[in-house]
Amino acid sequence: MHPKETMMFRWKRLAAVAAVVALGLTGCSASSGGSEDSGGTLTLGQIVQPTTFAAAQSNWANESPYMQAVYDTLLTADPKGEVQPGLATKWEYNDDKTQLTLTLRDDVKFTDGTALDAEAVAQNLVRFRDGAGPNASYLVDMTDAVATDATTVTITLKAANPALLTYLSQNAGLVEAPSAFESSDIQTVPVGSGPYTLDTGATVIGTSYVFNKNPDYWNAENQHYDKIVMNVYGDPTALLNAVKGGQVNAANTLNNNDVAQMEASGFTANPLELNWAGLTLMDRNGTVDPALSNVKVRQAINYAFDKDAMLKTVESGFGTPTTQVFPERSAAYDKSLDSAYDYDPAKAKELLAEAGYADGVTIQMPSTPLLGSATFTLIQQQLADVGITVEYGEPGNNFIADVLTPKYPVVYIPLQQGGDWELIQFLISPTATFNPYHTTDDTVNGYIATVQNGTQEEADKAAADLNKYLVDNAWFAPWYRPQSTYVTDANTSVVMQPGNAVPYLWNITPKA
Amino acid sequence: MVLRFILRRLASGVVLIVVISTIAFGLLYVGGGDIARRILGQTATAETVAQKTEQLGLNRPLYEQFVDWVSHAVVGDFGTSWFTGQEVIQAISSRVAVTLSLVIGATLISAIVAVLLGVWAARQRGWPDRLVQVISVLGFAIPGFLIALGLVIVFAINLGWFKPTGFVQFATSPSGWLSSITLPVIALAIGGIAGVTQQIRGSVIDALRQDYVRTLRSRGLSANRVIYKHVLRNAGGPALAVLAVQFVGLLGGAVIVEQVFAIPGLGQVAVTATNQGDIPLVMGLVVVTAIIVVVVNLVIDILQGFLNPKVRLS
Repeated sequence: MHPKETMMFRWKRLAAVAAVVALGLTGCSASSGGSEDSGGTLTLGQIVQPTTFAAAQSNWANESPYMQAVYDTLLTADPKGEVQPGLATKWEYNDDKTQLTLTLRDDVKFTDGTALDAEAVAQNLVRFRDGAGPNASYLVDMTDAVATDATTVTITLKAANPALLTYLSQNAGLVEAPSAFESSDIQTVPVGSGPYTLDTGATVIGTSYVFNKNPDYWNAENQHYDKIVMNVYGDPTALLNAVKGGQVNAANTLNNNDVAQMEASGFTANPLELNWAGLTLMDRNGTVDPALSNVKVRQAINYAFDKDAMLKTVESGFGTPTTQVFPERSAAYDKSLDSAYDYDPAKAKELLAEAGYADGVTIQMPSTPLLGSATFTLIQQQLADVGITVEYGEPGNNFIADVLTPKYPVVYIPLQQGGDWELIQFLISPTATFNPYHTTDDTVNGYIATVQNGTQEEADKAAADLNKYLVDNAWFAPWYRPQSTYVTDANTSVVMQPGNAVPYLWNITPKA
Repeated sequence: MVLRFILRRLASGVVLIVVISTIAFGLLYVGGGDIARRILGQTATAETVAQKTEQLGLNRPLYEQFVDWVSHAVVGDFGTSWFTGQEVIQAISSRVAVTLSLVIGATLISAIVAVLLGVWAARQRGWPDRLVQVISVLGFAIPGFLIALGLVIVFAINLGWFKPTGFVQFATSPSGWLSSITLPVIALAIGGIAGVTQQIRGSVIDALRQDYVRTLRSRGLSANRVIYKHVLRNAGGPALAVLAVQFVGLLGGAVIVEQVFAIPGLGQVAVTATNQGDIPLVMGLVVVTAIIVVVVNLVIDILQGFLNPKVRLS
């Protein structure tokens, strides 16, 4: 045997083995990527895990896909934000809007085989109101929900709630099977009537949730996939790598820093404006800081910020400058108001002097690393330029709790822009969560009452007047609406849902 | 005798776990602030927050809550996660195997590579020695997550040889498991190699100077036999001690690796639970980690006894 031939033969064999191993590994990684079975499996990148699958304590926003996979809601919302039928085909208010009557479909079954009837719906509504979940207050004004017959539910309210129909298209409207109410693993094993069922065997809680198509679903039009996998990526690097490696079909993003890289990997960026960022000038009564009760001081704060520069620096330009807390799609929004407080530090100083604070003002604010330390420095800088000194406190984990106690007169925290009534209840009314000093103003209260009880036309006008009043009286100092981005790959189309962090599940479809 | 030793060590291990749990509990609750508000988020009203506080028993005095936790923990009931509703024991047990496979794999690989490199450096001296020392310093200096990121970008994303994120169970697909675990284990092992290599190199150099080595060689034993059978056995003691520390350190390093590779192990859940302030889960993790460390140290001590009769339990 020729030694040289043996050597060559051995090397060739080694090379062949190496090639097979490499191919095998490549083959493996490709096949377990999980994203090429278009029409078959949808893999979503989520940025949070579901807090619970129990409908009564459920969350929404980033958790909505988990809920929408296994449950139906009483009503739904279309991509314009308008209420549409869901489990309820008809809905009707009485004259003073204190009673809502829902007519349900009669052909829906839970996955445990029991019928979804008015009794089940009524029980779910009561459980949501009493369940101490994060949004239990949505139904706080509901005095009762009663099944008047198998397909009719009557909801009685203490007072009109203009946002109720929207809430019923979200977590307040989720309907869970009564057989699951007393189940010991109700938080991790859902029983609903939805388009998919949770595959508890394949699911790894906190990391990866697998849903299989429900073959008996009543609305096959909304089922676009045989299987949906929702992977949780808490770390932006892991999310970016998953996108670049083609391991997801669509994903929400944690910030805009990686969007360009994701687009370079063939993903499409779907933009959405959800929140407003700026200062909430909570202490309008002057309890902690008398200066803030003076409208000129608050207006000065508005003039002190260079909104365009803030947007470029903090959000890399992703977003739109604004002075209003109401979103663009609202009837309350008025584009002309956005130029009410164009950057003018000289004007700010002038206003402070007129208010009697030529020597300056000091305000306390909480800071937290979670919102980006650069922003707090910018706030301090720009306010210092007009003579306002900011003293930061560091509440650590107690940031929200301390703000709502209330311990601070002013806070920087991006807040959501929901529907008009939601915004009012969350931010503006005397009992609003983010009005911890309970600022009450007769004009504002008048507008709020009209929004609550008037006709749609009256409500819209009142909301617009309210918005103008808030801007003129500088209840807040908004800078911009930051843009959030949802990315989709070349095989997936999506229609964004206004006011929701992620698209509604049935609006994610395979590209033909 | 061995039995008495083990029982004594286990007893001191239990004391250690009790002390750690008490301190952890105190730190979590005292520093925790408004826990119900943290769970419910900013959209909840003050009334809902009060309701939740009551529901979780958070308005009870601290010692009462601690006694409650202990009385359940000793029977293995660590409660339910406040943020996923999953039982803590289940959350941990489903992930322990994943993290241990990462850490054990990394420990084994770093042990083998470290022995090879350390022995090579000790025997050859000269340029191999320098090279190995430089590699070790680099392994120490470069942060683990940077190495992990580099590996992902080159081997997973650009070359597509491995999965960039995620974990496949061995039972589901052995090749998928290999594909998902290779890069994380390498990332973890590199830091470990750096430390143990230096230790082995030093011990082997010292051992090679001993008289018994000259005697063995003069009796005709091959250099390899001398090194791998006799010298390593003597150098093994200190190296094993380093390995024990290494294992525990890798347990911590696994946290970062699991985050970057989105691997469902203890590290990933530890980060989420700590960030959210999910106290039942964090307490469960503290106890389980303490148990792992105690057991590992006990095992290492017994192995030390085998390696070196002088250390054997008297």
